[in-house]
Amino acid sequence: MATTLTINGETKSFDAPPEMPLLWVLRDILGMTGTKFGCGIAQCGACTVHVDGKAVRSCVLPISAVANRAITTIEHVGSTPSGAKVQKAWLDAEVIQCGYCQSGQIMSAAALLAATPSPDDADIDAAMAGNICRCGTYVRIREAIKLAASGRQS
Amino acid sequence: MSRTMRILASLVVIAIVAVALGVFIIRGPAPLDFAGGTKVALADYRAGKPTGVPAKLEKAGMVERGEYLAKAADCMVCHTSPGGKEYSGGLGFKLPFGTLYSTNITPDKDTGIGNYSDQDFLNAVQRGKRHDGARLYPAMPYTSYTYMSDEDVLAVKAYLFSLPAVRAKPPENTLSFPFNQRWAMIFWSAVFNPDTRFAPDTSKSPEWNRGAYLAEALAHCGECHTPRNLGFALDNRKKFAGAITAGWHAFNISSDKATGLGNWSDADLIAYLSLGHAPGHGSASGPMGEAVDHSFSQFAPEDISSIVAYLRSVPPVPSPDLPATTAPVAPASHKDGITADARGKNVFASACASCHGWSGESPVSPMATLTGTWAVNDPAATNVAQIVLSGTKRHTPDGALSMPAFGNAYSDDEIAAVANYVTARFGTKRSKLTAKDVAELREQTAE
Repeated sequence: MATTLTINGETKSFDAPPEMPLLWVLRDILGMTGTKFGCGIAQCGACTVHVDGKAVRSCVLPISAVANRAITTIEHVGSTPSGAKVQKAWLDAEVIQCGYCQSGQIMSAAALLAATPSPDDADIDAAMAGNICRCGTYVRIREAIKLAASGRQS
Repeated sequence: MSRTMRILASLVVIAIVAVALGVFIIRGPAPLDFAGGTKVALADYRAGKPTGVPAKLEKAGMVERGEYLAKAADCMVCHTSPGGKEYSGGLGFKLPFGTLYSTNITPDKDTGIGNYSDQDFLNAVQRGKRHDGARLYPAMPYTSYTYMSDEDVLAVKAYLFSLPAVRAKPPENTLSFPFNQRWAMIFWSAVFNPDTRFAPDTSKSPEWNRGAYLAEALAHCGECHTPRNLGFALDNRKKFAGAITAGWHAFNISSDKATGLGNWSDADLIAYLSLGHAPGHGSASGPMGEAVDHSFSQFAPEDISSIVAYLRSVPPVPSPDLPATTAPVAPASHKDGITADARGKNVFASACASCHGWSGESPVSPMATLTGTWAVNDPAATNVAQIVLSGTKRHTPDGALSMPAFGNAYSDDEIAAVANYVTARFGTKRSKLTAKDVAELREQTAE
């Protein structure tokens, strides 16, 4: 079935059944492999994207639910103010170890800062609890979110 | 007669009267007694045709008509085990006194119903009597199907006999004494099965009569939504007032404004029945999800409208266990509103918030919105825990939307905590589920 979605400000048309999860469309059809497949059941956060600015898990999100809504992926989040700040802070704090979960972590952190510019620890917990990191970079993630929020970045 | 004999005779008479009175009181009214109008035999009813198939299938063959009616009666869901072939039986019904398995109703001669004559089939469906004379347990809703016309029952038989015969023997029932005494169901049946066909009510519209036939004889709504009496039969004094069935809360579908369907619009009811979702009313899950997927979604639109017209007429019976109004949208920030129950909040943040949002209005789809649903407004949190345990999936014309099952990912304690957090944040009253309650819910639905 021909479907049209708005992804990163561009209109993309492709053939896919309406129940196909957005993640499959992004990775397999459109070749946008920055968004990762982790668990496939919305439990790890690796596949996080933004829909209308909110962080959602693309692995359980059928494309029929996101027609006419603005989708942003890791490839484009750097062009949003909060996304740019988060990416810079991630580099400054050297958050990443293996990196597999990090595009999801960055997407969740960027959505958090867009809604809550100065988050405290409880806000960070509430927004980031669904993003799992097997390398255990949580301490640096928290540090980088605070750095991004502080405006102290060079 | 001696004095002793006279006393004995009087005692016998008193005992008989007491038993008869007891039976009369326990049995209560029949499912359509509330309507109160004049009932006529189906053959004498001229205003419309409440039985049979919708107009588009009027000229169809018997098998095709039977297929529609079998779906309307939702035979398949109970007569198919997970992973088993359709209609080949073996689904377990977990009861407090053992497990009962559904039978193979494919036309296999050894393990199915291949040897059933028309009369055998009528006896089974309308009277709960098996081919070999043994009695069926009322898990088979023959006290509802008894209202089906012979013609419709035999159309269902024609459909079943058109299917491939599947050789499959369901497991033996594991009922304990005295429930394993099948013969005793003769008495149950004599008291609780009216063994009568649908009789239209001339004081009501043809649409109402069609709806009554569909809801009572075929869809057997009351089997889940009407509370049961002392004899485990439907207590129609509280018709459609809601009940716990198979570990799920089948909510009030009487016309009560606060806790029933009284405030649902026609459009909401039509959407809920045919798609399994109505805006602000949640999505059908568990047994109702199955009923929508396999039965109601296949109904002709005019049949759905008839059921709605009928449901509207069922007298209001309030559910005292539910709040008079559902809770409004919760605050957008996790910090506002309910903050107690750190463990429940933690689980919600990791597993639930990305789809359901902190406000209860889903950022993903209206089908995942929690605000306004009975599940989160039920202080018993039964369905919240069930959906968390086993997940849910809604099929729509635009594709399916599903929630994964979390039963294997979280402990009973964590599921109790998140259910209590969810009812507190999005409902009217915090539930008090314990790990033990969740373990029991797992037990009731395990299959």
